[in-house]
Formats: sequence, structure tokens, C-alpha cells
Amino acid sequence: MSDMIKCPACGESNLSDQDVCQYCQTRLPDVTIKPGQIPTRKNTAELEPILPQWLRDARDSAREDDQQGAQQKLDQPESPQSQAASATNDLLAGLQAQAGNNDEGDMPDWLASIMDGPSKTTNPQTESSDTDEMGLAGKVDFEDDVVAELSSDEEIPSWLAELKPAEPQPDENDGANDWLHDLERPEQARQSELPESFESSFTDSSASDTPDWLRQMAAEENVKNEGAPADISADVFADAPELSIDTPDWLQAMRDQEEAAKSADSEGSSGSSFGKSDAAENPANGDLTDWMDSLPKDEETKQGAAPVWLSNDEPLPLSSAAEPGDNPDWFNSFQAVPAFQPERPFAPADSPPHAESEDSQLSDNLDALFTDMPDWLSDASETPPSSNLMPNADMDEIAPGDLPDWVQAMRPADSGDSQSSPASLSPSDQTLETHGVLAWLQGVLPAAPGFAPTSKPKAYSIKLQASDEQQSHAALLERILAAETAPVPIVSFSVLKTSRALRWFLAFIFLLIIGIPLFMRTQIFSLPEGVPLSVNGAMQVAQSIPEGAPVLVAFDYEPARVGEMEAATAPLFDQLMLLRHPYLIFISTNATGAILAERFISGPLAVHNYQYGIQYLNLGYLPGGQMGIRAFAQNPRVTTPSDMSLSSAWDSAPLEGIVSLSQLAALIVVTDDADAARTWIEQTESVRGGIPLVVISSAQAAPMIQPYFESWQISGLISGLYGGALFEQYNAGRPGTARSYWDAYSLGMLLAMALVFGGGLWNLILGLRDRIAIREAQ
Amino acid sequence: MMFSPDHIAGVISFLFTILVLSYLIGDNPLFRIAVYIFVGVSSGYVAAVAWWQVIVPRLIYPLAYGSVSEKAITAIPLLGAVMILMKISPRLTGLARIAMAFLVGVGAAVIIAGALSGTLVPQISATINAFDMNAANARNISMVEVIFNGAFILAGTIFTLIYFHFGARPKADGSIRRLGLIEISAWIGRIFIGITLGTIFAGVYAAALTALIERISSLINFLGNF
Amino acid sequence: MRVFTAVIAIAAGVLVLGGYFFPALADVQTLLLNWAIILAGFAALVGIFNLIAVHMGKIRGHEKGRTYSALLIIGLVATFFFGMILRPQHAMMKIVMNGIIIPTEAALMGILTVSLVYAVIRLLRRRADMMGIIFLVTAALLMLGSATLPFGNIPLIGTLLHPWITQILALGGARGILIGVALGTLTTGLRILFGADRPYGGN
Repeated sequence: MSDMIKCPACGESNLSDQDVCQYCQTRLPDVTIKPGQIPTRKNTAELEPILPQWLRDARDSAREDDQQGAQQKLDQPESPQSQAASATNDLLAGLQAQAGNNDEGDMPDWLASIMDGPSKTTNPQTESSDTDEMGLAGKVDFEDDVVAELSSDEEIPSWLAELKPAEPQPDENDGANDWLHDLERPEQARQSELPESFESSFTDSSASDTPDWLRQMAAEENVKNEGAPADISADVFADAPELSIDTPDWLQAMRDQEEAAKSADSEGSSGSSFGKSDAAENPANGDLTDWMDSLPKDEETKQGAAPVWLSNDEPLPLSSAAEPGDNPDWFNSFQAVPAFQPERPFAPADSPPHAESEDSQLSDNLDALFTDMPDWLSDASETPPSSNLMPNADMDEIAPGDLPDWVQAMRPADSGDSQSSPASLSPSDQTLETHGVLAWLQGVLPAAPGFAPTSKPKAYSIKLQASDEQQSHAALLERILAAETAPVPIVSFSVLKTSRALRWFLAFIFLLIIGIPLFMRTQIFSLPEGVPLSVNGAMQVAQSIPEGAPVLVAFDYEPARVGEMEAATAPLFDQLMLLRHPYLIFISTNATGAILAERFISGPLAVHNYQYGIQYLNLGYLPGGQMGIRAFAQNPRVTTPSDMSLSSAWDSAPLEGIVSLSQLAALIVVTDDADAARTWIEQTESVRGGIPLVVISSAQAAPMIQPYFESWQISGLISGLYGGALFEQYNAGRPGTARSYWDAYSLGMLLAMALVFGGGLWNLILGLRDRIAIREAQ
Repeated sequence: MMFSPDHIAGVISFLFTILVLSYLIGDNPLFRIAVYIFVGVSSGYVAAVAWWQVIVPRLIYPLAYGSVSEKAITAIPLLGAVMILMKISPRLTGLARIAMAFLVGVGAAVIIAGALSGTLVPQISATINAFDMNAANARNISMVEVIFNGAFILAGTIFTLIYFHFGARPKADGSIRRLGLIEISAWIGRIFIGITLGTIFAGVYAAALTALIERISSLINFLGNF
Repeated sequence: MRVFTAVIAIAAGVLVLGGYFFPALADVQTLLLNWAIILAGFAALVGIFNLIAVHMGKIRGHEKGRTYSALLIIGLVATFFFGMILRPQHAMMKIVMNGIIIPTEAALMGILTVSLVYAVIRLLRRRADMMGIIFLVTAALLMLGSATLPFGNIPLIGTLLHPWITQILALGGARGILIGVALGTLTTGLRILFGADRPYGGN
């Protein structure tokens, strides 16, 4: 199940992987950190929506505890250290949970008594968490709590006050728990003689007796540091009279020995939960050590050195004097309890105990045991606001002994590193977490060397750590790949700019070359020689037309080619009109053809004085293109009943009785367009009969009309000024239009040929050079 | 002094010729004036010709002076003419489709018959008959010349037709290309087409040159007569 | 409407085509052809009306070149007016024809001389391939062959090469083009008669 995010607008819960709220469509805060992104500092309030519910409950319970603690402080003013006691409740809640999970039911009374107290204020959820089992659900340094409590002069620590005697466990022969049970009865100060061995102290069946050593400690503290609110010993023994002790004889003996013996280096003192390292590194912390200072201890201990029993490498053996039967069950379950080693505070739990029967060692160890707070009661971290609890090593002769598994589990993990130094067991290991989900927890993370998060985790970028050279190589590879996929531009030439100078030069030279012979009316160049078959055929047709016969003339050229067409047409018609006097019938599929015919008749052929309606007829404009020609060819009378002047066209004598084209003498098509000629040829093919068809065309249409001559579909072909000049020679130079144009025409042709050859060659060279340059550029 | 129509026409002709030839220097407003006036005048003249030589004799006169049968027959093209005039209006242009459909159908039939009987069959026959010795003898053409010329004409005709065949198939390498034989034949056809187009270009130039000669001659004549 | 127009086009075409092969349909063919002539004449008028509309729109819209459009409209209206009154064969219309239409078109054709030479000179700068070279060489040879010298035709080129190119080499290409055009025309006409193509709209 994914975590839920609370919508900041409507407060509804949404899945953490959603971007917008599914209820109000408000954009949900993106609390995820992307790879490579440096985490940005955020206010805790912004993280509120993403906190898991169990953590919120833990926080709420902690706040309630604080409030209760504060309330209690108002009622019973406490030192700041006493606030730690409230945290102890959470811390001890784990114990309660553990106790609840303990199927064996081997709950020592001292433990049970403690756990019953905190169980009231402990959040049930926290009990089920693993951290609770560790007994680390507290938000405040337990040590601070204990110190606060112990240093309280006037009030009983809350954790002590709340400590209630557990239900008597019938299975427990917890005589050894008496000192813990005594904690529940602040008014009852008990004196109990600590057995020589650790377990003997715990085998004290009296659950209500405050150990004498603890009572003595309290008393001495009151004497030494009376009125010091931070004095733990005073607080402890004031609030917990049961903790006031009379120094037992065995403890006193141990103390004497400690005075004679030098303790091990203070750094070797345990950084364990007993808080020795705190005392060693913070000897000036009077709040924590005063009550311990009040305890008789040697110099080294005063300086924070580890007590003998702590500095002793060899673990304290289990008491051989103790009767197995007298031991509580939980204690009997201790099979492999690592000995307490000051130099190795995080000794693995599975390390076999070393039994020693040396009393001195045992006493030392016992002293050390009671000078240091147990793991599950305190943390060895050093925090500024908190004061470390440094029990008086001299006062406690309880050997570390065997700890139950669950206690061992709560202890800070021992990395087993022999090189672990007390520095690793620095107070930072007991750092109180103030941020994040582990807030208000102390020493949550194992305080092993190298494991302890002494600072904010360093944000490592997940970006590829590439050197500059590697990046340049990668960029080069990307460019190569991009070049492979990049579209190749099509090589194309740039648009040739119009050369105005060339155009002006050409215009000038053409006007000059043409104007001079025209102006001077020169006739230097000879007319062409050699009559082609096409022209010869036209000549023969002109000669074969009967005199006065109607000849249909189709004038289908544009006014633009009047000069060329008149020059090409005039010789044939001049000869025809001169020799055969035909009745010319003009018709045009062009709107301007009719008037061009009129111009033709009254222009170059004016000498023949042809009269309209007598010698020629103009049927005018025949629309429809091919349809009109076909219609006219099929039935000319019906198609063109009247002439251009809207008079009846077919009433004249020459046209009397003519109903089809085949009755005409010839058909002459004068056109500048190859399509027009093709149309006349195609549409009159079937109805023309045997009458000759002569085409007089422009020079541009001649190549496409030539095949019709070669196919014998037309009888003759005269094309352009060249053909007119040829026919004009045959016609004795009449009318002479071609002759007048010929010099200019020849010069123009020669000039064009020279320009085409020379200029084309020059531009060919330039073009090849440009192509070579482009290829080299590529 | 009376100006004859020819004189007037001469003056106007000279003026317009100069205005149009000014384009050799570059595009200028005078040239545009001349061209726009020419377009307007030409259009007006064509409209007048269409009226007097198409509408009046073929519609108005039959409807006005024709017999009943002539009137009845003439009514249909009159209706069609009105439909064609509907092309002027965008809303009523749909009615013009009927008349245009009639025109297109008749025109298609005419061009089919003309292309078939007027070009296709005669030209193919002529290609074959290029090797006709009898016809060549009638024209006093030697056999060698007939075969030589006939071969060129036949080759030109066939290769030109093959050039315009653009059917291709995809090849194994993914490219779409014509058959190898067709590619070679098309390449040869391009040569003949190039020669033909060059011939046409020479003819176009000759026609344009003649027109320029005629215009300059008219200018010179006008100046000479002026 | 689409079906109706297609039916008209096909029916008319079939009747006209039948007149080529069946003499009985000759009169029908003539009738239909005459109707088509009238409609073609009207189509020319429609084109002129469209020309007027375009230029009138330019004048009304105060577009660039509206002065020229005004000149066009004035010339068109005036010519049509005089043509309607005086008829096209009137002397005045001949003045219009001889003074305006013929000189202008001829002069435009004359300008083409310079443009053609200019274009063919720069042809090989952009397209120096086989086609361009053959085109240019052929044109130059024919130009040379069309001209004469004071003493007569240019030897070899004018007397042999020029006629051989125009009457033999160019003939093959021209014939191939004509046959190709005829085939295309035939195909287009048949598609129209079969209703596959409807250039008159409605498809």
C-alpha cells in the first residue's frame, strides 16, 4: 500500500503517486525527490501530508506525553531533564511491548514495574513497532529523562512516579529485581545487600526494596549538591527515595580497590548505554555526574575514567554462588551474555560470557554496572540540551553479566570492531533526532563506528560522473549520430539573377542589326535557294485550281504574326489571284481572323482589287473550334448561313449549289498554330474528298505540320518568311514583302546563331565551373 | 488637313509600338498602360464580334424571323446560352453545368473521331509507307534515300513514343525504374525530342524576329511618311 | 443533378460520334454541333464578363493597379460600344485593329526575340546535359541554315543539314509526339463518354 498524501486544499487523502487531487483537482505537493536533485530544505509543515499515520500517532502521543509532563511539571516543577522521563515512557513502551510479546511470561518484576508505568502513556502503536521493541520509541534521550528526574530536588520523576509495580509474576523469582521494584516506591528506601554477583543482586526477591546503594547514592548527593537542580543524584534521590542507598559493604570494598587501582583510560570507558563515555568526555557536566561524583570513586573515575569493572576486559562471570533456583527465569535464560567490556561497548550479543570468579573483578564490574545506566534505560549519546547520566562507577559493583537477548537487542549494536574507539561512542551517537520521521528519538541508529549518522546524510547526485574528456567524446558521438539522421539538403543552384546589362545589350544590338538594313532597304543577302517539296506542292496546288473556283481560306492566326503570315501568304495568293482569280471564301475560328482577312485583302493584295461579295466572301467568325469546323465541314450552308455583314452568304453565283467542302476547289489554311492546322486537317479529312489542302503556317508551327505533309494529308506547306521567300522567288518576286524583310531576317538569324553559340559556350564553361565549385564545397 | 483612318491608325500604331518596345529597357508604367488598353480593346472587340457574328445570326434572327420549327429548334440553344450565362453568378453556377456537360460531350465525340481518323491512322500509315518505293519513285526519291530517311523517321517515331512510356516496376533494391530496354530506348527518344524541340525553337525565334522586323519596318515607314 | 449532367454529356457525345459512322445520324450530328457552336460563342462572352468583374472588383477595392484596371474597363466598354453600334467591320474598328491590337501584339512578339536569345544563351549555365546541348546545337544549326549569305545559302548547313534536320530528324520526333497526343486525346474523349471524367463538374 502506497503512502497517502493529504491534499492541502480539501484535506482528502490521495495516493502518493498522484499529481492532482482526485476530489478537488488541486495539484498535490511533489514531495518526491528526483534523481540528481539536491533535496531542498522544507518546512516540516509541508511534509505533514506525507507523514505516515503511525508516525503522526507517535508524535501525537509524544506531544501528549509532553503536555502531561508539562502539566506535571506545572504541578510538580521539574528540571528540564525530567522531560526526558516522559520520553522514557515511550522508550519503555517498547519494553512493555516486548513484555507483551514475551510468550514465556518471564517478566522480571523490576522490568514489569517499570513498564507498567510507562505503559499508561505509551502509544499502543508504538508498542507494536520494532523500535518499541528496542525500547527506543521515546523522543527524548532517556538519559536526559533520568538525569532530569534524578536531578529534581522536589518532585518524583515522572518516569519514576509512573513506575508502578507490575503484577506479580508468579514465575519470577526476581529477587534480583528488587532494586528496580524499589524504584516504584519512592518512599521506600530499601537497603539491600548486593550480592557479589550481578545476579545475586537481581535475585533479591524483595521487589519493594530500594537498593541500599542507590539510597546511599541519593543521600550523598543531597549532601554534596544540595539545591542543585541539575544534580542528578539529588534529583534522583529526592524524587526517588528508594534510590537512596547505603553503600553496601561489597560496594565499599570495591570502591576501596578502585581508589588503589588506576582505571583504564577514560576513552576506554564504555560508551554504552551506561553513559560512561559521556562522563568521560564531559566531566564538566555536573548535572549528570554530580551524584556520581558524590559517590566514592577513584581519581580516574572522577575524571571520567572507566571503572575497573568496566575497564576489565574479561567479562564478569555469572555468580557461582547464586543458586540457579534463585535466579529468575529470565536470568536463567541468559546463556550467552557477552561480558561487559568497556573497551568494546558494543560487544556482540552472542559473545560467550566469560566467567570469572575473581571477586575484585566482580566487584569492579558490579560497581561499573551500577554506575552506568543500563542500555535500555539510557543512551550514550551526548546532546547539548541534555546531560548525560554518568553513574558512579564506584558505586556500582554490578557486573555487566549476561543480558537477555531482548536487552542485547536494544543495546547499541557492537560492530565488533576492535578498533572502535570511544570516539565512535561519542555523545553524537546518542544524538537526539529532531528532524524527520525519527524525531525525538535518541540513538535510533546503531552507534557503531561508521554507522552513526553524525550529520545530515550527504546528498549524492545520481548524475553520471563524467570527466570533461568523456563529455566531449559523448558530445562528439552525438554529433556523429545527428549527422547520420540529419536530412541532406538537396543540392540546387541558386536562382540566376537576371542580367539587365545582357538584356540591354541584346536589345540594342538587335535593334541595330535589324534597323539598319530596314532603314537602308538593303537587299544584300540572297534569297534562299532550293524549293522543298512542301513548297513545291503548294505551288502545284495553286496552279491546279480552276479559274474562278471557290477556294475556302481559313484565316486562323493571331494579330501578333501579321507580318510573318502576310509575308508567307501573300506570294501564293498573289499568284493565285493573278493567275486563277479564285472566289475566295474566308472563314476564321478566331474572333479577329475575319478582320485580318480584310486587312490581307486590302493590304498586300490590294493590287488585285478584290471586291467583297464579288470576288471574295467573308463568312466571319466560326466559334466552337473543332465542333465548328466539323459542323461547317459537314454542312457549311447550315452552319454559316450568313456572312460577316449578316447577308446571305450562299446566294452568290460562285457559291450556288455548294453544300459541302468537297465541292470547293481547294482549302487553304493560314494559321500560326499547329493545333489549328491539325484540327482543320482532322475534321475535314472525311468530308474534304479529294480537294487539296494547303497549309500556310508560321515558322514555329511548321515542324508539327510537316508530318501531315509527309503523310500526304496536306498537299503543300509554306512556313514562315523562309517559305514565303522561296515562293516569292517562284512568283517573280511578287509582292516583295519577303524580300524587304530578308536582309534583316538573315542578319538576325546570323546574329542569333553567333550569340547562341558564343554565349552558350561561355555559359557552359561558367556552369561547369559552378558545378565543380559546388562539388568541392560538398 | 484630313487625317485618314490610315494616318490615325498609323499614329496610334506608332505610339503603341513605342510604348510596348519600351519594355526592352525594363518594366515601366507606359508599357503597362499600353498592355492594359490592348487587353481591354481586344476584349471589347471580341465581345462585339461574338455578338454580331454568333448571337445575332444564330439566335436572335432565327427567333425573330425564323419559322416555328426554327424557333423551336433555336429555343434549346437559347436556353443553354442562358444557362451558361449563369456561370457569372456563384449561386446559379450549378445550372451552367448542364450546358457545359453538353459542350463537353459533343467536343469529346468530335476529338475522338478527329484524332482517330485524322492523326492516328494516317500517321501510323505514313510511318509504314515511308518505305514505300512506289511513292518514293513518284517523288523522284532514290531507294537508298528512302530507306535511310525512312529508318530515321521510323526510329524517331518509335523511340519518341517509348520515351513517353512511364510505367515502372519496383526493383530488388527498392528503386522504381523502367525496364532496361525501355530505359535505353527512352534515352534515344530523348535525342529525337531534343532535336524536334530545337527545331520548334528555331521556328519560334524566326516568327518573333519577323514580327520585330515588321514593327521596326512600320516605324520606319511611318517616320518616313511623316 | 450529377447523373443528369452525365447523361446529357454521354448522350450528346454518342449521338455526335454516331454521326461519323452512321449517315442517318448526320443531321442530328449537325444539329447538335450547331447548338454547341452557339453555346461556345456564349462561353466567350462569359469569359469577357468575368474579366470585367475582376477588374471592377479591383477598382472598387482600391487595390494596387486599379488605374490600369480602369483603363482596361474603359477600353473594353468603348470598343464594345462602338462595335455594337458600328459593327466590327466598320472603318473605325479597323483603326482600332490596325492601331492598337495589331501593333501591340506584334510588338510583344518582337520583344520575344530578345527574350528567346537571352534564355538560350543562359540555358547551358543551368542545364548542361545532353538534352540541353542537343537542343541548343539544333536551334543554332537551323538558325544558321535559315539565313543566307550574299552569295546564296550557307554551304552544307543551308543546303543539306537544314532540310535534313527539319524534314527527317525532326519529323520522327514530331510524328511520335503527334501520335502520342492523338492517343491521349482519344483516351480522354473515351473517358468522358464513359463518364469516368466529368470536367463539367458534379463529380
